[in-house]
Amino acid sequence: MSRRYDSRTTMFSPEGRLYQVEYAMEAIGNAGTCLGILAKDGILLACEKRITNKLLDEIFETEKLYRLSPNMVCSVAGITSDANTLVNELRLIAQRYQLNYQESMPCEQLVASMCDVKQAYTQFGGKRPFGVSLLYAGWDHHFGLQLYQSDPSGNYSGWKATCIGANNAQAISSLDSDYKSDMSLQEAIPLAIKVMYKIMDQNKLTAEKLEIATVTRTDEGTTEMTIIPRETVAELITKREQEIAQETQK
Amino acid sequence: MSIDEYNGCAIVAMVGKDCVALATDTRFGVQRSTITTDFQRVFQMGPRLFVAMSGLVTDAYTVSARLKYRLNLYELRENRPVSPSVFVSMVSNLLYERRFGPYFSTPVIAGLDPTSGKPFIAGFDCIGDPSIGSDFITDGTAGEQLMGMCETFWRPDLNK
Repeated sequence: MSRRYDSRTTMFSPEGRLYQVEYAMEAIGNAGTCLGILAKDGILLACEKRITNKLLDEIFETEKLYRLSPNMVCSVAGITSDANTLVNELRLIAQRYQLNYQESMPCEQLVASMCDVKQAYTQFGGKRPFGVSLLYAGWDHHFGLQLYQSDPSGNYSGWKATCIGANNAQAISSLDSDYKSDMSLQEAIPLAIKVMYKIMDQNKLTAEKLEIATVTRTDEGTTEMTIIPRETVAELITKREQEIAQETQK
Repeated sequence: MSIDEYNGCAIVAMVGKDCVALATDTRFGVQRSTITTDFQRVFQMGPRLFVAMSGLVTDAYTVSARLKYRLNLYELRENRPVSPSVFVSMVSNLLYERRFGPYFSTPVIAGLDPTSGKPFIAGFDCIGDPSIGSDFITDGTAGEQLMGMCETFWRPDLNK
């Protein structure tokens, strides 16, 4: 009966739900996982790549990680074409701020501006919401290193560690037990591999399916995104597999 | 006094052997008064790309800020540093958009191509006509005087 209320984004159902927004989140629940961990010396973003056909021409540096501005980076989970539109808009918002104020846009303000745009699609216009969740990682001089997550409803929140995409609930409960707030990046990277390995155990985790980047501050006062090379990722996965083999032997 | 001479400046860019040089004066004046002598006219646009802006200072700052806006978006979308020839087109486009109410500032570009490392210099007029230089580019209120000096002293393959 409440099917009557789910084809219009701008209508509440009798139970007080916005079905189109929830359906958008369903779409993301089937997309490649993205994990973010805030360490004291950097932020780690680990993404599962879904498109690994060997016929694909690898012309892009990354599939799910995007630079938004000199001080912010994001990873996406959901409909790729929707994600491209959002990333483009985020880049424009950040540059407009830079042009007006001659300084980098603070992280939360960029996330909030984008979320205001996303919210508009849930309230008026008759258009569907964007089927994308994003993890934003960046630095500003107000709050230092920060990690945010936003979803199709236009809600956002700051996190120490979080996950979006397929099996995200499982990943979050795993992070809940293993994350320590004064972790360093060197400790966060194996943790990310451990969590990704756990949630992807149906399809075997390989280095081709994983994209890992760290966001750090350099001594010169810039924010850098460094993509971890495939060989290093492969080594870390092998190391984790050995650890699991040892644990099961005990 | 015309609007191009209101603040006054002198800019010269030269091509050398696998290098470029860009020099400006540092006087900020209002007609005949000097306000400061440590004024910066050169703006860095990339690791090996610099722009010096001549003419009216307020327009110089506005043009370089708008240029940086376009440049940042280019580099984010293309995921690579801009090459000098593309940058020339970007500058030209920006200035010509104001064809009938121009910015009273003309840029001088000096840089190295990101892939080949080849030296590159260029000058413009205030509505975006590019002149790509193989030896030197001069600009500003002392432009003619600088041109004379360059013609006399410049030779190819000067090293750093």
